[in-house]
Amino acid sequence: MLEELGASLTPTPIVESAVTSRTLERYAPDAVKSELLPQIAVGHVLITPALLEREASWDATSARVAATRTDSGFLITGEKRFVSFADLATHALTLVRTGDDEPTLLVVPIWKARGVDQISLDHVSGVPVSSLSLSEVEVPLSCVVATGARAIEATRELITAGAVSRAVQLAGLGRVVVESTVEYTSNREQFGQPVGSFQAVQHHIAEMAIAAKQVNHLAHSAAWSFSRNGYSIARAAQAKIAANEKIPSLCWTAHQCHGAVGFTQEHDLHLYTWRALAWKMDYGDSAFHKATLAGAMGL
Amino acid sequence: MRFEFTAEEIEFRRQVSAFLDEVLPDDWGGPAGLSDDQEWKLNQRLRKELVKRGWLVMSWPTEYGGADSSPMMNTIFAEEMAYRRAPGLDGFGTRMLGPTLMRFGNDEQRARHLGAIACGEVQWCQGYSEPNSGSDLASIQTRAVLVGDEFVINGAKIWTSLGHRADMMFMLVRTNPDAPRHAGISLLLVDMKSPGIEVRPIVNMANVHHFNQVTFDDVRVPKANLVGDLNDGWRVGMTVLNHERSGIEFAAGARAVLEELVKYLKKDDSPVSTAKSDPNVRLRLAELSTEIEAARLMCYDVTWRHGQGQEPSSEASMSKVTGTEIYQKTLDYGLEILGMYGGLEAGSPQSELQGRLLKLRMLSTATTIFSGTNEIQKNIIAQRGLGLPRARTR
Repeated sequence: MLEELGASLTPTPIVESAVTSRTLERYAPDAVKSELLPQIAVGHVLITPALLEREASWDATSARVAATRTDSGFLITGEKRFVSFADLATHALTLVRTGDDEPTLLVVPIWKARGVDQISLDHVSGVPVSSLSLSEVEVPLSCVVATGARAIEATRELITAGAVSRAVQLAGLGRVVVESTVEYTSNREQFGQPVGSFQAVQHHIAEMAIAAKQVNHLAHSAAWSFSRNGYSIARAAQAKIAANEKIPSLCWTAHQCHGAVGFTQEHDLHLYTWRALAWKMDYGDSAFHKATLAGAMGL
Repeated sequence: MRFEFTAEEIEFRRQVSAFLDEVLPDDWGGPAGLSDDQEWKLNQRLRKELVKRGWLVMSWPTEYGGADSSPMMNTIFAEEMAYRRAPGLDGFGTRMLGPTLMRFGNDEQRARHLGAIACGEVQWCQGYSEPNSGSDLASIQTRAVLVGDEFVINGAKIWTSLGHRADMMFMLVRTNPDAPRHAGISLLLVDMKSPGIEVRPIVNMANVHHFNQVTFDDVRVPKANLVGDLNDGWRVGMTVLNHERSGIEFAAGARAVLEELVKYLKKDDSPVSTAKSDPNVRLRLAELSTEIEAARLMCYDVTWRHGQGQEPSSEASMSKVTGTEIYQKTLDYGLEILGMYGGLEAGSPQSELQGRLLKLRMLSTATTIFSGTNEIQKNIIAQRGLGLPRARTR
C-alpha cells in the first residue's frame, strides 16, 4: 500500500499515523493504548511525530525541549520543527527532557490547544509542514508513553519505521517516474524518430530502471524484517540510504530525458521530483543512516 | 594556455567586482527572494548601469559602440556577473542578434537595431524552438508566406524566455516548405506588439515565469525585416549562436555556491554548524572544490583558444558539460548539508540561506538541457572532437 501511495504522491498523513500508532502499541502503558488506539483506528485521532528541533537532527538523543513537572503532569516550552500535517493532527508525539534531564516521550494534544502555535513552512514536499512553538503547554501525566532509555529506544524505532516507510514510498515513486519516462520518450519524436530510440537516452532510462529495482528490493526487504519481535536496523538503513541516493537522482535523469517540458509546471514530473527531495531528508538523511549502518556492522 | 591573468585583466576584474558591490542591494545573495517583477526591475536598472560603464556591449567592435574587448576580458566579465548572480545582461541582444546583424544584416537593420541594443533600450527574445522542434531545430514548422511587401506568419514558438518582457523577437520561420529541411528557413525580426501575436506564460519548476509560448495568427511583418537572404535562415540564425561562449557562468555559479556553503558552515550559530567538523563533509567539499576548479580552467582554455583565433568546438562542449554538471552537483550537496532546511522554499519562515539553494537547484535543471543538451554535447565531443565514427543509420 505504501508503495502505491508513493507512486501516486497521495498527500496523506498515513505514515505519520502508522509510525506513531505502532510506537504507542509497542511502548505505551495500557491506559494510553486503550484510550487512543481505537480513536486512531476510526480516524478521530491523528498523531504526528514532532521530533526535530532547531538542529533538525534525527539522533533521538538530541532532543532538548524541556518539560517542567507540575502536580498533574508537565508544562512544555520550546519548539519542534518540521512537523508534517500538524494542521490536521490532534496530537503530536514528542520527545522532551524533564527536570532531571530524563528523556520522556509524550503524546501532546495540539488541536486548538492553549500555548501551541503553528508556524507554517513553505516546503518542497507540497504537503503541510509546520513548526510547533510550545509555550507552557499543559500535558497530563496520562500522556506519557515512555521514559529514559525506553523513550530513546521507542523514538529510534519510530524513526526507523518512518525511514522504511519513506523508502517504500520512494520505490513506488521511482517506478512511476521510470514508466512515465519510457512513455514520454517513446512518443516524443526528434530527428524523425522517438528520442527513446537514441542510445544515450536508452542508457539513461536503463540506469533509472536498475536504480528503481534496487531500491524496491531493499525497501521491501527492510519492510519484511519488521515483525512483532523487532526489525533489522541494517536492512532499514540500507533501504533508506539507497532510496535517498538513487530516487531523487533518478528523477533528475528523468528531467534530462524529458527536455524542456519536464522543467515546467505543465508536466507532472516536477511534482515527483519535489516529493522525492522531501522524502530523501525525512526520517534520516544518508549520512545519518550510514552512521547507523556502520554501527550495526559492528564498527 | 597561460595560467595567469595580465595586470589589465586583474584590474578589470576588480573594477567589475567593485561595481557590483556598489549597485547590488545590501546582503545580496541573488534574485531568489525577489518576485519576477522585482527581478526584472533590477535587471533593467543594472543594464542601464552597465551601459554607462561601457560594459554591456564591450565585446562588440568599436564601430558599433563596443570596446572590441578580448575574449578573456569578456569571460572575466561574464564570470564576475554570474559569480554574484547579478541580473542585467542581455544575451539575446548582445550575444546573439547583435553579432548576427553585424555579419548578415543590411545597413538599415544595423543602424536601427544595434544602437538600441547597445543602449539597453530594447529587449529581444529568441523564437527558435517549437512544440515539436527542440534538439531537432531544423524541423520547425512555423510558416511565413510572402504576400506583397509583407511576410504573413502562422505557427507557434515555445520556451521563449522573456517573451512577455520583449519588445522584439528574432525568429526562424519556414519560408519554403518544399525545399530540404535546412534550405527552406529564414530569419525574421518581429515586433512583439504586432496584431496576431499571443504570449502565454509557462511557469517553471522553480516557480519562475521565464518561458512563454508565443503563437502567431496571420502576423504581418515587413519584408525589410528579413535578415540575410530568403531561405538562408539556417546559416544566418545558427552561425553566431553561442558564439564565443565559454560556459564560465556555470563554473562561476558552482564556485559561488561552494563558497557560500563554506562561509555558512563557518558561522557558529547556523543550525547545521556541526557539519563543518564532520570529516565526510570536509572531504566532499574538497572534492567539489577540485571539480569546480577543473571546470573553471576548461572555460579559460576555451576562451584562450578564442583569443588565438581558433574555433574550439569540442572544448566548448566539454566545458558546457563539466560546468553544468558540477553546478548541479554542488547545489545537490548544498541541499544535503542543509538537511531538513534544504526542503524549505525561498521566502519560507525558518529557511536557511533564504531558501535560495533549493530555487537555484530547480533553475539549474535547465542548464544540462538548454543550448544543446549535454547528450548532444557528448556526441560532439566523441565525433567532432575525438573522431569516433557515427552510428550507421538503420
